[in-house]
Amino acid sequence: MPTIDSISEDIFQETMNRAVQDVFRTMLSSSANLVHGSGAASSDGAPWKHPVDLSGAQIVGTVGFIGDISGLIYLYFSADFSKFVASQMLGMSLPEVEASGDEVVNDAIGEITNMTVGGFKNQLCDQGFPCRLTIPSILRGSNFSIEPVSGATRRTYTFEVQGHHLVTDLLMKNSD
Amino acid sequence: MRYKVLTVDDSKTVRIIVRKAFKPYDVEIIEAANGVEGLAMAGKEQPDVILLDITMPVMDGVEMLTKLKSDPELKGIPVIMLTAEGGRDNVLKIAKIGVRDYIVKPFKEELLVEKVGRIIDLKPITDGPTKTKSILDPCSLLVVEDKPAIIQQIQEGLKHTPWKIHGVGATGEAIDFLSKNTPDLIMISLSLPEEAAFTLFRLIRASVKTKYTPIFGLCVKTETNTQQMAQQVGFTSIVTKPLDVPDLEAKVAKAMNLDTSRRYFAIEGEFFVMKLPESTTTVVINEVSNYLKPKVSEAVDSGICKAIIDVKEVKSLNMNIIKLLFHTMQTCRELALQFALVGNETISAECKGFEDTRNWSFFSSVDDAKASLTKAVAAPA
Repeated sequence: MPTIDSISEDIFQETMNRAVQDVFRTMLSSSANLVHGSGAASSDGAPWKHPVDLSGAQIVGTVGFIGDISGLIYLYFSADFSKFVASQMLGMSLPEVEASGDEVVNDAIGEITNMTVGGFKNQLCDQGFPCRLTIPSILRGSNFSIEPVSGATRRTYTFEVQGHHLVTDLLMKNSD
Repeated sequence: MRYKVLTVDDSKTVRIIVRKAFKPYDVEIIEAANGVEGLAMAGKEQPDVILLDITMPVMDGVEMLTKLKSDPELKGIPVIMLTAEGGRDNVLKIAKIGVRDYIVKPFKEELLVEKVGRIIDLKPITDGPTKTKSILDPCSLLVVEDKPAIIQQIQEGLKHTPWKIHGVGATGEAIDFLSKNTPDLIMISLSLPEEAAFTLFRLIRASVKTKYTPIFGLCVKTETNTQQMAQQVGFTSIVTKPLDVPDLEAKVAKAMNLDTSRRYFAIEGEFFVMKLPESTTTVVINEVSNYLKPKVSEAVDSGICKAIIDVKEVKSLNMNIIKLLFHTMQTCRELALQFALVGNETISAECKGFEDTRNWSFFSSVDDAKASLTKAVAAPA
C-alpha cells in the first residue's frame, strides 16, 4: 500500500493547484494563480503561525478528509473576498449579499471549501489513498489561534484570485 | 402536471444554485437539508428526480439512497448524486446502489440542467400572452449554410428587422456557437454534405436549451424528397430556394410566435393609427384582420376615440384590401371611434371607380387627417 511519504512536494502542490483552479474556474468563472507554496513543515509542539495577517476580519472554511490518509484543509478569505465569492456563486450583487447577512457568506465559504477539499482528496483517492470528506465548518474573526495536531505536517499555498489572496493551509497526519 | 426536483443538500448555497439553474424551466424545486428530511420529502412530494449530496449531518446521502432504494414506493425515483465526494472507487460503490447519474462538485449549472433534462422533459417557462415578444424586439437567428451567398441574402433581406443573424458554414461552427448562445430560431441547409443537417437537428433537439427552438430547413424548391424527410424528422418549417424573403420573414415571425401587430398598429398621442405597408399581401391582410378587433378595443379601452387609417404607402387597391378597409371602418363605427383615411392619388382615383368606395375621401398626410379629426371633435354639436 502506498504511504503518504511517497507523495512528493510537487504532487502536493500540483494537486492543490488543480483543485483550487477547477473550483474557481467552474463556480466563479475566475482564474486562480498560485503565487507561493511553502513546502512541508512539521509541528514542533508550538502554536501554528497563521499563514495570513489576522489584523482584518477573516472567514476561514475547514473541511477534513479521513481514510487511508487523513488531514484538514483551511481556506482563508478576507471579509471582502468572502463576500465576492458568495455574490459570484449565488448570482447576487454585493449589496444583496451584505443585506443577506453573515450566514449566507459563511455557507458559501463552507461550500467552496468543501468543493476545493473534495477536488484535492478525490485526486489522492485516485492515486490509491481512499478517504472521505467531513462536514465543513467556518471560523470567523480576527483573533484566533489554531493548535497544532501532534505528528502533523503543514503546507500552505497562496493564490491570487481577482486581486484577492486565497490561502490554503493543508495539515496532514503523518503516516504511522 | 409540473415536474418536481428534490434537492437534498446541507448547503443552502447549493440549494440556491440549483433553484437558480432551473428558474427558466417549468419545474418545482423542493429542498431538504439532510437525508432524513430528504426521505420525508420524497415520500410526501413524490419528486420526478432527486439531486443528492453525500456528506450531510443527521443522515448522509449514501444512507438516504440505500433507504430510498429499499422502499417499494420510492425506489423508482431517479437519483443524481451531486457531491464533492468523487474518486473512481467511491463513485463505483455508490453507483452500484442505483443512481442514474453522478455529478462531482464543482459543477456548472448547464451540466446540471442537461443531466436532469435527460430524465424529465424540461420545458422553458413561456411568458404570458401580454409579454409575447414583438416584431420590434431583438432576436437571434442562426443560419447554418455552406453557401455564403445564401447567408448574405438572408442577412440583407432581413436587415430592416431588429434580428441579429449569425451565419456559419459548417456544423462544427454551429455546435460551437450553440454551446455559448441560445438563438431564438435556427435555419439549417438540408444540402450540407453527408446529411449533416439531420445529425445537427438531432443534436439540437437533444439539448435542453434548444429542445423547443424552431428549426427551419433550407432546401432547393425541387428537392421534394429531402423536404419530405425533413418534415418527417420534425423540422418546424421548410424554406425553399430561391428565397422569398418576405415569406421567410413571415414564417420566422410566426415560428417565434412574435406579436407582429406593432407593424400595423400604433397609438400616437390621442390617435389610434392603422398603417398598411407598401406590400400588403394576403399574409399581411390576414394578420391585420386578426389583430384588428382586439387592437381597436384596446385603444378604446385606454380612452382613445379617434383613428387614422393610413394606406398612403399602398401602391394599388385590390378586393382584399378594400374588404379589409370596410371591415376596419365598420369596427371603428361599432366602437364609436371617429376615423379619417389617408391615401395617395392613385388609391384615391381607384376608389372613385367602384360603386361602394366612390364616397371615400382621403387626406394626403397623417397630420392633415389628425388636424381634421381634432377640429371635428372640438366643434360644438
